[in-house]
Amino acid sequence: MTIISDRDHAQHYRPRMACLKKVEAIVVQMQHPTNGVKRSEQKLNITTIPHVMAGQDIIAWIVNHMKINNEEAQAFGTMLVAYGYIYPLQDHIRLVLKPDGSLYRFQTPYFWPVQKWRPEDTDYAIYLAKRNIRKKGILNVYEQEEYNKLHKWMNHKWDFIVMQAKEQYQAGKERKKPDRVVFDCQERAYWIVHRPPPQTHSAMDYGVDRHIDPNTEEKETCEYYRRIIIYTQQAVMRSKVKSSVSLGAFVKYMTTYKEHDPFLVPCLPSNPWQTDDDLYWELNVSNVDVPTKMRVERWSFSFFELLSDPRGRADFKIFLKKEFSGENLAFWEAAEEMKWDAASSMSEKAESIFKTFLTPGAPRWINIDGRTMGLTVKGLEHPHRYVLDAAQNHIFMLMKKDTFYRYLKSPVYKDVQKKAISPAPHTFTDVQLQQNSRNRRPSIHPIITWQQEQEEKAKAAAAAGPVDLKKLKEMTSKLDRK
Amino acid sequence: MTRGKSGIHSYANMGKDECKTMLDALNKVTACYRHLVSALGSTSDSQNLREELKKTRKKAQELAVANRTKLTALLKDKNTSTDDRAEYERLWVLFSSSMELLEVDMKRSLEIGQDFPLKVPTRHLIQTGMTGSTTTVAARAMSVQNMKYEGDANIDTTDLKELENEIEKVDQMMEEMEMKVQVAPWAVEAKQEAGAELKSTVSVGNSSVGVISICEEEPKETVEGETDLMKVFAGIIFTAVLLIAGILGYLVINL
Repeated sequence: MTIISDRDHAQHYRPRMACLKKVEAIVVQMQHPTNGVKRSEQKLNITTIPHVMAGQDIIAWIVNHMKINNEEAQAFGTMLVAYGYIYPLQDHIRLVLKPDGSLYRFQTPYFWPVQKWRPEDTDYAIYLAKRNIRKKGILNVYEQEEYNKLHKWMNHKWDFIVMQAKEQYQAGKERKKPDRVVFDCQERAYWIVHRPPPQTHSAMDYGVDRHIDPNTEEKETCEYYRRIIIYTQQAVMRSKVKSSVSLGAFVKYMTTYKEHDPFLVPCLPSNPWQTDDDLYWELNVSNVDVPTKMRVERWSFSFFELLSDPRGRADFKIFLKKEFSGENLAFWEAAEEMKWDAASSMSEKAESIFKTFLTPGAPRWINIDGRTMGLTVKGLEHPHRYVLDAAQNHIFMLMKKDTFYRYLKSPVYKDVQKKAISPAPHTFTDVQLQQNSRNRRPSIHPIITWQQEQEEKAKAAAAAGPVDLKKLKEMTSKLDRK
Repeated sequence: MTRGKSGIHSYANMGKDECKTMLDALNKVTACYRHLVSALGSTSDSQNLREELKKTRKKAQELAVANRTKLTALLKDKNTSTDDRAEYERLWVLFSSSMELLEVDMKRSLEIGQDFPLKVPTRHLIQTGMTGSTTTVAARAMSVQNMKYEGDANIDTTDLKELENEIEKVDQMMEEMEMKVQVAPWAVEAKQEAGAELKSTVSVGNSSVGVISICEEEPKETVEGETDLMKVFAGIIFTAVLLIAGILGYLVINL
């Protein structure tokens, strides 16, 4: 059935917007005839419309009332405009409070943002239809797009929307002319806040809808207390670590990763989300030839970092090939593949891994201790996703304690470190930034990158194949001789 | 009777036409109610506005109940043809959308009415720039020439209690509607295509366009004064024609 706000069968609720009620209180205080904001009139050729304020007067009032300085007052005022409590009369798309003589007016309480009432698409469609009537069919580009979209997916209600739009338009004409102007400005301002034009940002963006209504208090029934009891029991049973130890770990983590956090240190060359220049992403693609210095430095932090970066893993593989100990990494990768693979391929994968890595005399036999080997072999009779977990962890620790440190001291790593590039930071002017945003293009489709990866994997498998056979022949010949 | 079938058809057509007129009326009342609610809490708020809201609401309720009984009767009838049924479903979607709008507006008016009481010593109504009254809108809703105000001075507080009850009633009615009538709203096809609103409102008139173009910041010259001028001009021409006719008649009679 149709989705109505209170009886929302989809059960999506807006998160609590606690600031709205507080802002409303301040807006009401601004109305005070003597202590409120200074008001004047707007002259439109013949009519005069009262209750108009200048930006600087609003800021002066906020400074006076809230005892803050000018910059904070301007930020607060911009928030008022962005939420839609005050709307600008000139330049109505940019919702900022300008500290000069530009004119603003208060929005009527019906159009205030309320947490409970989300602006419905039906209303927006009616507004667009009304605007269509008024502008005789010539809407803005983005409005026209929205109109067509709404017409397509709200088609079943379209009769109603047209009827309502015409009726509201006619009813609006019953009012006096200055009131009509004011009402149109109000409605337009409301929809600019709640359906922002392209390349503007709406202050009402709130992320994901909540699953439970934040305004209802949860009833404290038996079930509720049962849940609390289970939660606290589990919390008590958790293994505890000394706070000095855990804090030490935090401090160590923060000192190592301090320079690599894009929130704290601007990423080189520039943050693509801010400057619309995607050089950063191009330089950090997984199969790039020359990695960046930051990336290479990250590999030295921990073995896990090295393995999780595909470029680092490739580098490590090259090193292991030189040392002729590639089977550990191959086993680890095979176990990873098994973890992430489809359930239907479990038994085949298990068999192939057993044959390649675990049987005595296998071509790529890995060296794990007897207990783990016994567990794994027994588990492989009934293979499931995590049957190789113990062996995988053992191999991981082996590689970490032994091979990893040798890798870090090896000429392979030092070579990569020397060759790594450190891009210079971009300095874009405003004009260039605008140009960048206009030249945004979609990047390679992920399907194409996936296909490329598959091709490379196939090539690598084909390259590795004959070597295995050779090794197998060697081993069998050795055994024969014995 | 041989005329039985056509009789049923005409009865069905009459039912459809009745429904359509009632829905049009409900549509008009909903639109006017929305205009009235948007003036709540602003400087054009007053006791009169609260009374207008109350009257419009009551009218909307009556129309809603009438529409609902008629439409449920039509939809429950198993003997309607598929075309008729499609038409009734379309009317049903119109009706339920109107009711949704009304319900939301009623709830909002309750909230705003509670936040902005009129009988307090220091009224803090939001100064929105609207200063005119909404009598004409309410008169349009009630389909009368002039509104009569007979409400007492405490209408803003007494009305709110009634409003709560009415909202509950509307809620119940909507739930009943959803349960009783099995209509899939998404299956209805609209008769109007995109841009249909432009067709019948060709006679928009110059007045509103002129004033509102100022709102758009386009430095167009206002054509606002023209309608008055045009009216005066027409009056002058009319009187001139009358005079000429009178003079000619006098001359004819004399000659």
